[in-house]
Amino acid sequence: MPALNVQRISLWISLGFGAVMLVAFVAFPGFFPPMSPRMSADQVAAFYRDHQSAIRFSMITFNFCSVMLMPLYMVVVYQMKRMATPTQVFAYSYLSAVVSGATLFALADLFWLIAAFRPERDPNLTMLLNDLAWITFVTPVGMLIGQNLCLALGIFFDSRPRPIFPRWVAVVSVVTALAMAPSAAAVAVRTGPLAWNGVVSFWLRTGAYAVFLAVLFFAARSAINQEERDEASDALEPMEAAGAAV
Amino acid sequence: MTAAPDRTGKRDLWICWWTAPVFYLLFGLIFVLLTRVMPPPRPSMSTAQIGAFFAEHRTTIQIGFALLIVVIAGSAVLSGLVAYQMKRMSVQPVFAYGYIATLAVGAVPGCLLCAISFLTATFRPDRDPHQIAMLYDVALLSFVGSLGCFAAQYLILAIAILLDKNKIFPTWFAYVSIWQIVTELLAAPVFIFKHGPFAWNGAIAFYEGTLLFGVYISCFIPLLRKAIQQQPSERLPA
Repeated sequence: MPALNVQRISLWISLGFGAVMLVAFVAFPGFFPPMSPRMSADQVAAFYRDHQSAIRFSMITFNFCSVMLMPLYMVVVYQMKRMATPTQVFAYSYLSAVVSGATLFALADLFWLIAAFRPERDPNLTMLLNDLAWITFVTPVGMLIGQNLCLALGIFFDSRPRPIFPRWVAVVSVVTALAMAPSAAAVAVRTGPLAWNGVVSFWLRTGAYAVFLAVLFFAARSAINQEERDEASDALEPMEAAGAAV
Repeated sequence: MTAAPDRTGKRDLWICWWTAPVFYLLFGLIFVLLTRVMPPPRPSMSTAQIGAFFAEHRTTIQIGFALLIVVIAGSAVLSGLVAYQMKRMSVQPVFAYGYIATLAVGAVPGCLLCAISFLTATFRPDRDPHQIAMLYDVALLSFVGSLGCFAAQYLILAIAILLDKNKIFPTWFAYVSIWQIVTELLAAPVFIFKHGPFAWNGAIAFYEGTLLFGVYISCFIPLLRKAIQQQPSERLPA
Protein backbone atom coordinates (compact mmCIF):
# COMPACT_ATOMS: atom_id res chain seq x y z
CA MET A 1 0.00 0.00 0.00
CA PRO A 2 2.46 2.67 -1.14
CA ALA A 3 -0.13 5.50 -1.01
CA LEU A 4 -0.54 5.10 2.72
CA ASN A 5 3.19 5.07 3.30
CA VAL A 6 3.49 8.38 1.49
CA GLN A 7 0.86 9.86 3.78
CA ARG A 8 2.76 8.76 6.88
CA ILE A 9 6.03 10.12 5.44
CA SER A 10 4.22 13.42 4.79
CA LEU A 11 2.97 13.60 8.37
CA TRP A 12 6.40 12.93 9.82
CA ILE A 13 8.07 15.48 7.53
CA SER A 14 5.66 18.13 8.72
CA LEU A 15 5.91 17.10 12.37
CA GLY A 16 9.71 17.16 12.26
CA PHE A 17 9.97 20.52 10.58
CA GLY A 18 7.08 21.87 12.67
CA ALA A 19 9.10 21.06 15.78
CA VAL A 20 12.14 22.85 14.36
CA MET A 21 9.90 25.84 13.62
CA LEU A 22 8.94 25.99 17.29
CA VAL A 23 12.65 26.40 18.04
CA ALA A 24 12.88 29.13 15.37
CA PHE A 25 9.88 30.86 16.92
CA VAL A 26 11.40 30.84 20.41
CA ALA A 27 14.76 31.95 18.98
CA PHE A 28 13.42 35.09 17.30
CA PRO A 29 14.12 37.95 19.68
CA GLY A 30 11.39 39.99 18.00
CA PHE A 31 8.68 37.64 19.32
CA PHE A 32 9.58 37.79 23.06
CA PRO A 33 7.98 40.25 23.50
CA PRO A 34 6.68 40.89 19.98
CA MET A 35 8.17 44.10 18.58
CA SER A 36 5.97 47.10 19.12
CA PRO A 37 4.73 49.00 16.08
CA ARG A 38 5.45 52.14 18.11
CA MET A 39 9.22 51.62 18.11
CA SER A 40 11.07 54.48 16.45
CA ALA A 41 13.13 53.95 13.31
CA ASP A 42 16.32 54.14 15.39
CA GLN A 43 15.03 51.56 17.85
CA VAL A 44 14.09 49.23 15.00
CA ALA A 45 17.51 49.67 13.40
CA ALA A 46 19.18 49.01 16.77
CA PHE A 47 17.13 45.83 17.16
CA TYR A 48 18.44 44.45 13.85
CA ARG A 49 21.99 45.52 14.75
CA ASP A 50 21.93 44.02 18.24
CA HIS A 51 20.22 40.74 17.36
CA GLN A 52 21.49 40.09 13.85
CA SER A 53 22.64 36.50 14.50
CA ALA A 54 19.48 35.42 16.31
CA ILE A 55 17.27 37.01 13.65
CA ARG A 56 19.21 35.28 10.89
CA PHE A 57 19.18 31.93 12.68
CA SER A 58 15.44 32.13 13.30
CA MET A 59 14.33 33.43 9.94
CA ILE A 60 16.64 31.23 7.85
CA THR A 61 15.24 28.27 9.82
CA PHE A 62 11.69 29.44 9.15
CA ASN A 63 12.59 30.02 5.51
CA PHE A 64 13.76 26.42 5.16
CA CYS A 65 11.06 24.75 7.26
CA SER A 66 7.78 26.61 6.85
CA VAL A 67 6.76 25.19 3.50
CA MET A 68 7.59 21.72 4.87
CA LEU A 69 4.10 21.90 6.38
CA MET A 70 2.78 21.46 2.85
CA PRO A 71 2.94 17.64 2.99
CA LEU A 72 0.61 17.72 6.03
CA TYR A 73 -1.81 20.02 4.20
CA MET A 74 -1.72 17.70 1.20
CA VAL A 75 -2.61 14.70 3.39
CA VAL A 76 -5.63 16.78 4.42
CA VAL A 77 -6.45 17.48 0.73
CA TYR A 78 -6.25 13.77 -0.04
CA GLN A 79 -8.40 12.86 2.96
CA MET A 80 -10.91 15.59 2.05
CA LYS A 81 -11.18 13.97 -1.38
CA ARG A 82 -12.11 10.70 0.36
CA MET A 83 -14.92 12.36 2.32
CA ALA A 84 -18.47 11.40 1.35
CA THR A 85 -19.29 15.00 0.47
CA PRO A 86 -21.58 15.73 -2.50
CA THR A 87 -18.49 16.66 -4.56
CA GLN A 88 -14.77 17.19 -3.98
CA VAL A 89 -14.88 20.92 -4.55
CA PHE A 90 -13.79 21.94 -1.04
CA ALA A 91 -10.60 19.90 -1.39
CA TYR A 92 -9.62 21.99 -4.42
CA SER A 93 -10.53 25.28 -2.73
CA TYR A 94 -8.58 24.21 0.34
CA LEU A 95 -5.53 23.42 -1.79
CA SER A 96 -5.67 26.84 -3.42
CA ALA A 97 -6.00 28.69 -0.10
CA VAL A 98 -3.16 26.69 1.48
CA VAL A 99 -0.76 27.55 -1.34
CA SER A 100 -1.46 31.29 -1.20
CA GLY A 101 -1.27 31.27 2.61
CA ALA A 102 2.15 29.61 2.61
CA THR A 103 3.41 32.07 -0.03
CA LEU A 104 2.50 34.98 2.25
CA PHE A 105 4.52 33.55 5.10
CA ALA A 106 7.50 32.99 2.80
CA LEU A 107 7.26 36.65 1.76
CA ALA A 108 7.15 37.94 5.35
CA ASP A 109 10.19 35.79 6.20
CA LEU A 110 12.14 37.37 3.33
CA PHE A 111 11.35 40.90 4.54
CA TRP A 112 12.80 40.07 7.97
CA LEU A 113 15.94 38.59 6.42
CA ILE A 114 16.40 41.51 4.02
CA ALA A 115 16.13 43.93 6.95
CA ALA A 116 18.79 41.94 8.84
CA PHE A 117 21.06 41.72 5.78
CA ARG A 118 22.40 45.29 6.18
CA PRO A 119 21.62 46.55 9.68
CA GLU A 120 23.69 49.67 8.90
CA ARG A 121 21.09 50.68 6.31
CA ASP A 122 19.22 53.98 6.71
CA PRO A 123 17.00 53.28 9.78
CA ASN A 124 13.95 54.50 7.88
CA LEU A 125 14.46 51.80 5.26
CA THR A 126 14.98 49.16 7.94
CA MET A 127 11.73 50.28 9.53
CA LEU A 128 9.97 50.01 6.15
CA LEU A 129 11.18 46.42 5.73
CA ASN A 130 10.23 45.66 9.33
CA ASP A 131 6.72 47.08 8.76
CA LEU A 132 6.35 45.01 5.59
CA ALA A 133 7.46 41.88 7.46
CA TRP A 134 5.07 42.37 10.37
CA ILE A 135 2.11 43.46 8.26
CA THR A 136 2.61 40.53 5.86
CA PHE A 137 3.06 38.05 8.73
CA VAL A 138 0.26 39.10 11.07
CA THR A 139 -2.55 40.66 9.08
CA PRO A 140 -3.48 38.78 5.85
CA VAL A 141 -5.42 36.04 7.66
CA GLY A 142 -7.97 35.52 4.87
CA MET A 143 -6.29 32.53 3.25
CA LEU A 144 -6.00 30.81 6.66
CA ILE A 145 -9.64 31.56 7.44
CA GLY A 146 -10.67 30.29 4.00
CA GLN A 147 -8.78 27.02 4.32
CA ASN A 148 -10.22 26.37 7.78
CA LEU A 149 -13.78 27.09 6.62
CA CYS A 150 -13.40 24.80 3.57
CA LEU A 151 -12.11 22.03 5.82
CA ALA A 152 -14.93 22.57 8.33
CA LEU A 153 -17.61 22.50 5.61
CA GLY A 154 -16.11 19.34 4.16
CA ILE A 155 -16.22 17.67 7.58
CA PHE A 156 -19.81 18.80 8.22
CA PHE A 157 -20.96 17.50 4.82
CA ASP A 158 -19.11 14.19 5.12
CA SER A 159 -21.97 11.68 5.26
CA ARG A 160 -19.87 8.62 6.01
CA PRO A 161 -21.21 6.72 9.03
CA ARG A 162 -17.76 7.23 10.47
CA PRO A 163 -16.55 10.62 9.10
CA ILE A 164 -12.96 10.92 7.85
CA PHE A 165 -12.35 13.67 10.42
CA PRO A 166 -14.57 13.75 13.54
CA ARG A 167 -17.02 16.66 13.67
CA TRP A 168 -15.23 18.33 16.57
CA VAL A 169 -12.27 18.98 14.26
CA ALA A 170 -14.64 21.13 12.18
CA VAL A 171 -15.61 23.06 15.30
CA VAL A 172 -11.96 23.62 16.23
CA SER A 173 -11.30 24.71 12.65
CA VAL A 174 -14.07 27.34 12.71
CA VAL A 175 -13.09 28.56 16.19
CA THR A 176 -9.48 28.94 15.00
CA ALA A 177 -10.66 30.94 11.98
CA LEU A 178 -12.68 33.23 14.26
CA ALA A 179 -9.72 33.65 16.62
CA MET A 180 -7.45 34.73 13.76
CA ALA A 181 -9.87 37.10 12.03
CA PRO A 182 -9.34 40.13 14.35
CA SER A 183 -5.62 40.26 13.43
CA ALA A 184 -6.55 42.08 10.21
CA ALA A 185 -7.24 45.14 12.39
CA ALA A 186 -3.50 45.40 13.07
CA VAL A 187 -3.17 47.23 9.74
CA ALA A 188 -4.73 50.29 11.34
CA VAL A 189 -4.16 49.93 15.09
CA ARG A 190 -0.84 50.58 16.78
CA THR A 191 -1.71 50.03 20.45
CA GLY A 192 -3.65 47.58 22.58
CA PRO A 193 -4.69 43.97 21.95
CA LEU A 194 -5.34 44.47 18.23
CA ALA A 195 -1.92 45.95 17.40
CA TRP A 196 0.41 43.52 15.63
CA ASN A 197 2.17 42.84 18.95
CA GLY A 198 -1.11 42.63 20.87
CA VAL A 199 -2.62 39.77 22.84
CA VAL A 200 -5.29 39.19 20.20
CA SER A 201 -3.50 39.96 16.95
CA PHE A 202 -0.26 38.22 17.84
CA TRP A 203 -0.66 35.72 20.68
CA LEU A 204 -4.22 34.56 20.08
CA ARG A 205 -3.68 34.33 16.31
CA THR A 206 -0.35 32.50 16.46
CA GLY A 207 -1.34 30.31 19.41
CA ALA A 208 -4.69 29.33 17.94
CA TYR A 209 -3.11 28.33 14.64
CA ALA A 210 -0.34 26.35 16.33
CA VAL A 211 -2.91 24.41 18.39
CA PHE A 212 -4.99 23.90 15.26
CA LEU A 213 -1.99 22.47 13.39
CA ALA A 214 -1.47 19.98 16.21
CA VAL A 215 -5.14 18.98 16.01
CA LEU A 216 -4.82 18.64 12.24
CA PHE A 217 -1.80 16.37 12.64
CA PHE A 218 -3.61 13.97 14.98
CA ALA A 219 -6.82 14.09 12.95
CA ALA A 220 -4.87 13.28 9.78
CA ARG A 221 -3.03 10.48 11.55
CA SER A 222 -6.21 8.81 12.75
CA ALA A 223 -7.76 9.24 9.28
CA ILE A 224 -4.79 7.36 7.82
CA ASN A 225 -5.14 4.62 10.45
CA GLN A 226 -8.83 4.30 9.67
CA GLU A 227 -8.13 4.16 5.93
CA GLU A 228 -5.71 1.28 6.54
CA ARG A 229 -8.28 -0.60 8.66
CA ASP A 230 -10.95 -0.04 6.00
CA GLU A 231 -8.67 -1.33 3.26
CA ALA A 232 -7.75 -4.37 5.34
CA SER A 233 -11.41 -5.23 5.96
CA ASP A 234 -12.25 -4.59 2.28
CA ALA A 235 -9.57 -7.08 1.35
CA LEU A 236 -11.04 -9.61 3.80
CA GLU A 237 -14.65 -9.27 2.69
CA PRO A 238 -14.41 -11.12 -0.65
CA MET A 239 -12.69 -13.97 1.16
CA GLU A 240 -15.43 -14.09 3.78
CA ALA A 241 -18.06 -13.95 1.07
CA ALA A 242 -16.29 -16.80 -0.71
CA GLY A 243 -16.12 -18.73 2.56
CA ALA A 244 -19.86 -18.22 3.14
CA ALA A 245 -20.64 -19.47 -0.35
CA VAL A 246 -18.85 -22.72 0.24
CA MET B 1 -27.10 6.27 -7.46
CA THR B 2 -29.94 8.53 -8.56
CA ALA B 3 -29.76 10.75 -11.60
CA ALA B 4 -32.70 12.88 -10.47
CA PRO B 5 -31.86 16.54 -9.87
CA ASP B 6 -31.22 16.93 -6.19
CA ARG B 7 -30.36 20.34 -4.81
CA THR B 8 -29.16 19.10 -1.44
CA GLY B 9 -26.82 16.74 -3.28
CA LYS B 10 -24.86 19.72 -4.61
CA ARG B 11 -24.97 21.99 -1.62
CA ASP B 12 -21.18 22.29 -1.46
CA LEU B 13 -21.16 23.49 -5.07
CA TRP B 14 -23.89 25.99 -4.31
CA ILE B 15 -22.01 27.35 -1.32
CA CYS B 16 -18.98 27.86 -3.56
CA TRP B 17 -21.09 29.41 -6.28
CA TRP B 18 -22.68 31.94 -3.92
CA THR B 19 -19.18 33.01 -2.95
CA ALA B 20 -18.82 34.47 -6.46
CA PRO B 21 -21.45 37.26 -6.40
CA VAL B 22 -20.63 38.05 -2.75
CA PHE B 23 -16.88 38.13 -3.37
CA TYR B 24 -17.04 40.24 -6.52
CA LEU B 25 -19.49 42.64 -4.89
CA LEU B 26 -17.08 43.08 -1.98
CA PHE B 27 -14.19 43.30 -4.46
CA GLY B 28 -15.91 46.19 -6.24
CA LEU B 29 -16.80 47.89 -2.98
CA ILE B 30 -13.23 47.58 -1.71
CA PHE B 31 -11.32 48.54 -4.87
CA VAL B 32 -13.66 51.20 -6.24
CA LEU B 33 -15.34 52.90 -3.29
CA LEU B 34 -13.00 52.35 -0.36
CA THR B 35 -9.38 52.08 -1.46
CA ARG B 36 -9.61 54.10 -4.72
CA VAL B 37 -7.42 51.62 -6.58
CA MET B 38 -10.06 51.39 -9.33
CA PRO B 39 -10.04 53.51 -11.36
CA PRO B 40 -6.39 53.94 -10.45
CA PRO B 41 -4.90 57.29 -9.51
CA ARG B 42 -2.39 58.69 -11.99
CA PRO B 43 1.12 57.19 -12.29
CA SER B 44 2.36 60.69 -13.08
CA MET B 45 1.54 62.11 -9.63
CA SER B 46 4.35 63.88 -7.82
CA THR B 47 5.67 62.55 -4.52
CA ALA B 48 3.74 65.27 -2.71
CA GLN B 49 0.53 64.42 -4.55
CA ILE B 50 0.93 60.74 -3.69
CA GLY B 51 1.35 61.72 -0.03
CA ALA B 52 -1.81 63.82 -0.26
CA PHE B 53 -3.66 60.89 -1.89
CA PHE B 54 -2.83 58.60 1.02
CA ALA B 55 -3.59 61.30 3.58
CA GLU B 56 -7.00 61.93 2.05
CA HIS B 57 -8.05 58.28 1.70
CA ARG B 58 -6.19 56.78 4.67
CA THR B 59 -9.20 55.59 6.66
CA THR B 60 -11.08 54.09 3.75
CA ILE B 61 -7.91 52.39 2.44
CA GLN B 62 -7.41 50.81 5.86
CA ILE B 63 -11.05 49.70 6.14
CA GLY B 64 -11.14 48.42 2.57
CA PHE B 65 -7.93 46.44 2.60
CA ALA B 66 -8.49 45.13 6.15
CA LEU B 67 -11.73 43.70 4.75
CA LEU B 68 -9.97 42.34 1.67
CA ILE B 69 -7.30 40.45 3.61
CA VAL B 70 -10.07 38.71 5.59
CA VAL B 71 -12.27 37.72 2.62
CA ILE B 72 -9.53 37.10 0.03
CA ALA B 73 -10.01 33.32 0.19
CA GLY B 74 -13.25 33.83 -1.73
CA SER B 75 -10.95 33.75 -4.77
CA ALA B 76 -9.54 30.39 -3.65
CA VAL B 77 -13.04 28.96 -3.15
CA LEU B 78 -13.96 30.06 -6.66
CA SER B 79 -10.89 28.62 -8.30
CA GLY B 80 -11.77 25.35 -6.54
CA LEU B 81 -15.23 25.51 -8.08
CA VAL B 82 -13.90 26.20 -11.58
CA ALA B 83 -11.29 23.46 -11.24
CA TYR B 84 -14.01 21.05 -10.16
CA GLN B 85 -16.09 21.91 -13.23
CA MET B 86 -12.98 21.51 -15.40
CA LYS B 87 -12.52 18.02 -13.96
CA ARG B 88 -15.98 17.17 -15.28
CA MET B 89 -14.81 18.01 -18.80
CA SER B 90 -13.75 15.29 -21.19
CA VAL B 91 -10.17 16.60 -21.06
CA GLN B 92 -7.59 15.19 -18.67
CA PRO B 93 -7.47 16.90 -15.26
CA VAL B 94 -4.11 18.55 -16.02
CA PHE B 95 -5.86 21.82 -16.88
CA ALA B 96 -7.94 21.75 -13.70
CA TYR B 97 -4.78 21.45 -11.60
CA GLY B 98 -3.11 24.13 -13.70
CA TYR B 99 -6.05 26.45 -13.05
CA ILE B 100 -5.75 26.05 -9.26
CA ALA B 101 -1.99 26.53 -9.38
CA THR B 102 -1.91 29.67 -11.53
CA LEU B 103 -4.56 31.44 -9.45
CA ALA B 104 -2.96 30.41 -6.17
CA VAL B 105 0.19 32.14 -7.44
CA GLY B 106 -1.74 35.12 -8.80
CA ALA B 107 -3.52 35.93 -5.53
CA VAL B 108 -0.32 37.13 -3.89
CA PRO B 109 1.36 39.44 -6.45
CA GLY B 110 -1.89 40.23 -8.27
CA CYS B 111 -3.99 41.24 -5.28
CA LEU B 112 -2.50 40.86 -1.78
CA LEU B 113 0.77 42.66 -2.51
CA CYS B 114 -1.27 45.70 -3.56
CA ALA B 115 -3.13 45.58 -0.23
CA ILE B 116 0.06 45.07 1.78
CA SER B 117 1.78 48.00 0.04
CA PHE B 118 -1.13 50.41 0.50
CA LEU B 119 -1.52 49.32 4.12
CA THR B 120 2.20 49.79 4.78
CA ALA B 121 1.99 53.25 3.19
CA THR B 122 -0.98 54.28 5.35
CA PHE B 123 0.42 52.65 8.50
CA ARG B 124 2.81 55.54 9.12
CA PRO B 125 1.67 58.79 7.50
CA ASP B 126 4.90 60.39 8.79
CA ARG B 127 7.05 58.00 6.74
CA ASP B 128 9.56 59.45 4.25
CA PRO B 129 7.42 60.63 1.28
CA HIS B 130 9.74 58.90 -1.19
CA GLN B 131 9.12 55.58 0.51
CA ILE B 132 5.39 56.19 0.36
CA ALA B 133 5.70 56.98 -3.34
CA MET B 134 7.58 53.73 -3.88
CA LEU B 135 4.88 51.73 -2.05
CA TYR B 136 2.34 53.41 -4.32
CA ASP B 137 4.22 52.14 -7.38
CA VAL B 138 4.59 48.66 -5.86
CA ALA B 139 0.84 48.51 -5.24
CA LEU B 140 -0.40 49.78 -8.59
CA LEU B 141 2.16 47.97 -10.75
CA SER B 142 1.57 44.66 -8.99
CA PHE B 143 -2.20 45.05 -9.16
CA VAL B 144 -2.50 46.16 -12.79
CA GLY B 145 0.71 44.57 -14.03
CA SER B 146 0.56 40.97 -12.73
CA LEU B 147 -0.06 39.63 -16.19
CA GLY B 148 1.23 36.11 -16.47
CA CYS B 149 -0.59 34.34 -13.66
CA PHE B 150 -3.92 35.52 -15.00
CA ALA B 151 -3.06 35.05 -18.68
CA ALA B 152 -2.03 31.46 -17.92
CA GLN B 153 -5.34 30.86 -16.17
CA TYR B 154 -7.35 32.26 -19.10
CA LEU B 155 -5.32 30.22 -21.59
CA ILE B 156 -5.82 26.96 -19.68
CA LEU B 157 -9.54 27.62 -19.32
CA ALA B 158 -9.98 28.53 -23.00
CA ILE B 159 -8.16 25.45 -24.31
CA ALA B 160 -10.06 23.21 -21.89
CA ILE B 161 -13.42 24.59 -23.06
CA LEU B 162 -12.48 24.21 -26.73
CA LEU B 163 -11.40 20.59 -26.29
CA ASP B 164 -14.20 19.57 -23.93
CA LYS B 165 -16.76 17.22 -25.49
CA ASN B 166 -19.04 17.33 -22.42
CA LYS B 167 -19.79 21.02 -23.11
CA ILE B 168 -19.58 22.08 -19.48
CA PHE B 169 -19.17 25.67 -20.73
CA PRO B 170 -20.27 26.95 -24.17
CA THR B 171 -17.60 27.33 -26.84
CA TRP B 172 -18.13 31.09 -27.18
CA PHE B 173 -16.95 31.52 -23.61
CA ALA B 174 -13.54 30.16 -24.63
CA TYR B 175 -13.22 33.19 -26.93
CA VAL B 176 -14.24 35.55 -24.13
CA SER B 177 -11.48 33.96 -22.09
CA ILE B 178 -8.99 34.34 -24.97
CA TRP B 179 -9.86 38.04 -25.13
CA GLN B 180 -8.82 38.27 -21.50
CA ILE B 181 -5.34 37.06 -22.53
CA VAL B 182 -5.24 39.89 -25.05
CA THR B 183 -6.15 42.43 -22.37
CA GLU B 184 -3.38 41.09 -20.14
CA LEU B 185 -0.95 41.59 -23.02
CA LEU B 186 -2.25 45.10 -23.61
CA ALA B 187 -1.56 45.90 -19.96
CA ALA B 188 2.14 44.99 -20.36
CA PRO B 189 3.17 48.58 -21.22
CA VAL B 190 2.10 49.82 -17.74
CA PHE B 191 5.70 49.10 -16.74
CA ILE B 192 6.89 51.67 -19.27
CA PHE B 193 4.36 54.50 -19.63
CA LYS B 194 3.37 57.15 -17.11
CA HIS B 195 0.93 58.90 -19.45
CA GLY B 196 -1.57 57.99 -22.12
CA PRO B 197 -3.66 54.94 -22.96
CA PHE B 198 -1.00 52.40 -21.94
CA ALA B 199 -0.31 53.87 -18.49
CA TRP B 200 -1.82 51.94 -15.56
CA ASN B 201 -4.78 54.32 -15.48
CA GLY B 202 -4.99 54.51 -19.28
CA ALA B 203 -7.88 53.92 -21.65
CA ILE B 204 -6.43 50.64 -22.91
CA ALA B 205 -4.38 49.29 -20.02
CA PHE B 206 -7.08 49.98 -17.43
CA TYR B 207 -10.50 50.86 -18.87
CA GLU B 208 -10.54 48.42 -21.77
CA GLY B 209 -9.18 45.66 -19.56
CA THR B 210 -11.61 46.32 -16.74
CA LEU B 211 -14.58 46.54 -19.10
CA LEU B 212 -13.70 43.21 -20.68
CA PHE B 213 -13.13 41.67 -17.27
CA GLY B 214 -16.60 42.89 -16.35
CA VAL B 215 -18.00 41.13 -19.44
CA TYR B 216 -16.00 38.01 -18.62
CA ILE B 217 -17.08 37.75 -15.00
CA SER B 218 -20.73 38.60 -15.67
CA CYS B 219 -20.79 35.75 -18.22
CA PHE B 220 -18.81 33.34 -16.07
CA ILE B 221 -20.89 33.53 -12.88
CA PRO B 222 -24.21 32.61 -14.63
CA LEU B 223 -22.41 29.94 -16.69
CA LEU B 224 -21.05 28.36 -13.53
CA ARG B 225 -24.58 28.39 -12.13
CA LYS B 226 -25.89 26.70 -15.25
CA ALA B 227 -23.11 24.12 -15.16
CA ILE B 228 -24.02 23.21 -11.57
CA GLN B 229 -27.74 23.05 -12.39
CA GLN B 230 -27.19 20.79 -15.37
CA GLN B 231 -24.85 18.31 -13.78
CA PRO B 232 -26.42 15.16 -12.40
CA SER B 233 -26.20 14.85 -8.66
CA GLU B 234 -23.54 12.34 -7.85
CA ARG B 235 -21.25 11.25 -5.13
CA LEU B 236 -17.49 11.37 -5.44
CA PRO B 237 -16.97 11.87 -9.17
CA ALA B 238 -13.83 10.28 -10.53
